[in-house]
Amino acid sequence: MDVLSGLIQGFAVALQPVNLLWCFLGVLLGTVVGVMPGLGPPATIAMLLPLTFLMSPAAAMIMLAGIYYGAKYGGSTTAILLNVPGESASVVTCLDGYQMARKGRAGPALGIAAIASFIAGTVGVLGLMLVAPPLARMALAFSSPEYFGLMALGLAMVVLLAGRSMVKALLAMLLGLWIAGIGTDLFSTTDRFTFGQLELLSGVDFIVVAIGVFALGEVLACMEPRTEAQALPVPRGLRNLLPTMQDLKDSRFAFANGSILGFLIGVLPGAGSTIASFISYGVEKAVSRRPEHFGKGAVEGVAAPEAANNSETGGALVPMLTLGIPGSSTTAILLAALVLWGFKPGPLFIPENPALFWGLVASMYVGNLMLLVLNLPLVPAFAQVLRTPAYILYPVIIGISIVGVYSASGSMLDLFLLAGFGLLGYLMRKLDYPAAPLILGLVLGGAMERALRQSLMMSEGSLSILVTRPISAVMLSLALLILLIPLFGKLNAWRLRALE
Amino acid sequence: MSNKLLLAAVLALGAAPVLGQEFTPTRPVEVVVHTGPGGGSDVLARAVALMIEKEKLLPVRMQVANKTGGGGAVAAAYLAEKKGESHTIGFLTGVWLTNPLTSEKANVTLKDLTPIARLVLEPAVIAVKADAPYKTLADFVNAAKQNPGQLKQSGGSITSRDNVVRQQIQQVSGARWAYISFPGGAERIAALLGGHVNMMVIEPAEAGEHIRAGNMRVLAQVTESRLAAFPNVPTLKEAGFNVTPVPQVRGVVAPPGIPRENVAYWEGVFRKLSQTESWKKFLADNQFEDGFQGATDLVKFYDEFSNQMRGILKEAGIKVVR
Repeated sequence: MDVLSGLIQGFAVALQPVNLLWCFLGVLLGTVVGVMPGLGPPATIAMLLPLTFLMSPAAAMIMLAGIYYGAKYGGSTTAILLNVPGESASVVTCLDGYQMARKGRAGPALGIAAIASFIAGTVGVLGLMLVAPPLARMALAFSSPEYFGLMALGLAMVVLLAGRSMVKALLAMLLGLWIAGIGTDLFSTTDRFTFGQLELLSGVDFIVVAIGVFALGEVLACMEPRTEAQALPVPRGLRNLLPTMQDLKDSRFAFANGSILGFLIGVLPGAGSTIASFISYGVEKAVSRRPEHFGKGAVEGVAAPEAANNSETGGALVPMLTLGIPGSSTTAILLAALVLWGFKPGPLFIPENPALFWGLVASMYVGNLMLLVLNLPLVPAFAQVLRTPAYILYPVIIGISIVGVYSASGSMLDLFLLAGFGLLGYLMRKLDYPAAPLILGLVLGGAMERALRQSLMMSEGSLSILVTRPISAVMLSLALLILLIPLFGKLNAWRLRALE
Repeated sequence: MSNKLLLAAVLALGAAPVLGQEFTPTRPVEVVVHTGPGGGSDVLARAVALMIEKEKLLPVRMQVANKTGGGGAVAAAYLAEKKGESHTIGFLTGVWLTNPLTSEKANVTLKDLTPIARLVLEPAVIAVKADAPYKTLADFVNAAKQNPGQLKQSGGSITSRDNVVRQQIQQVSGARWAYISFPGGAERIAALLGGHVNMMVIEPAEAGEHIRAGNMRVLAQVTESRLAAFPNVPTLKEAGFNVTPVPQVRGVVAPPGIPRENVAYWEGVFRKLSQTESWKKFLADNQFEDGFQGATDLVKFYDEFSNQMRGILKEAGIKVVR
């Protein structure tokens, strides 16, 4: 029993009082960082690096990892309450989380997000512990054609994110794809759509668009009625602030779906947590018996993406710890930290540093439990935020958005872009264009284009590479099936009418 | 010598500002890097800040400022705007030098800034998967000749050193193979280990772990002389390919228009740093080469480097604008 003895060894490390303290500090800091839009885990970890030299590597690793997965818990809070995505992965949580808050169910939404995060975080660690090495080798079978298939699958989700009009959803998605094209082309170093702006050479930051379209667009739309009342209803009584048994029952499948998909997508170095949450949201809606509730405050629409972006953390640590190849900016800086502490990350890292690895794994079980205990009691308190009158709340949201964007990049251009995208979000609401397809196009566009062009370079220009490789063929077929869902719906409706 | 006398005089009088010749920072120093947290320059800057603090080489703290975008162009432009500012420095890499050659908009070259010092040379090795049939670089090149365009290399953007090495070897050997750009180092390595590409140019420290684990084999090193960690691997020239290795540099620059005393001060700080034990250990841990050069040598290096790069880029069919 390798795993069992390893885990016992790990808990011996993780349960030392000093390591428990660092773990707690890490997850607490992570929650705070996650709640604040803009400042993300990579910047926080970078700022804390000098401090870690005073600690033992195990303690430092435990604390930094705590920041990483703790931030995923915190990210949902502002998404649900204010429609402000606290970090990129919580964009999808806005879709149903904020709608739940508008119906007076902010408490249950926050509660489900915390529970989903706990379950999925734990599943992610289990996966990291049990299947890391074989899974990392399997992830290597994924290359550009497979990523193209995965991104196509993600893009097909647009039919599930569409509101009343498929045409409007597709137009919004195209706009997102175009924004993703702004910047320097990786293959030829040519600038595209930069309008002479130096800062646009690196493209438009995803979080600027997300905060503009979601948060500012919503504030502008909500200011129209000019009410002085509180922005959103908040029911009294603790019972109404926590998820009901029915909520948990409705979310059962979402917990499982999000946990597993999030972990698997996390293992792939070229994907990421935003893609993971979009895909698990889409899958959840595709198999749901009540898809019409999605986008209008379905509790499983919060559970699935929150689960996915939390188990993604465990997944993302797999290639970093087993192969020394980081798949995200946070794992990249964790890897850099390991080098600075004198370790050699790579395929031999785990066998040569079992105490560190198992200590980290054990600390993640403990940390997830801490986060649940930390976050659940805060739910009623956070829900009270919505009692704030609109004339105070809306300026505060605008302030948080501006500070969030500026703190992330320090760029004035980003603030102008933020204002522009806020206006765009407002117009889209007025004209009934859905915002989610725009974000989807933006998230997937860059990676999808790269994957396609890399594939064509591999095959010397032949498109057959996309269908002759089994994994990408399966993904593309799934994408096609998803694209056909609305057609099936129409056929079914027609059949029912004919039967009558 | 005269500086020492001056210092002695200042110490004796205990009245530094009166003389006004020596520069000493009086508030936190801003260190501009072009990568986000966790990127190569960012990590180097933070490690340097840590070592400088530990060795007490600076009376104030160093704060890293991430000015990302445009492959270094945003950070370089930011420094250029800070004309005359003596509490800001920047960490440059090769892209600061090559980017202005190919991008119209990246119009700040090293000539528009104040060079301070070159710190590090990063060597590279040419690696293939351990089960690949190629035992030597010549094996690979011959295979590429027999199947033109069939073999593949993973690397960064086309202006990166990975592609420069490919262009150079193609030029002297007449072989041709495909080059596939991946934005992140992780994806490049994953593409090689997964068998999707045949070869890559990789940093020795990274390759070392994969070799130890039996996943990779190194065919040649992109260096003038053999690295301590790879005593049995030939350099490019020893492997029979007569090309001049293009160094991957990291160094320090300051905004334009700062007084000569300030340049001397910063050069002195980094010269002292390069002689400390912590710096030597840092270089060894990362398998970097000590590339220290003062300000005047850095300018000379820049001219040679730019000329060499212009030739290589033109050869590769990339438009050179400067």
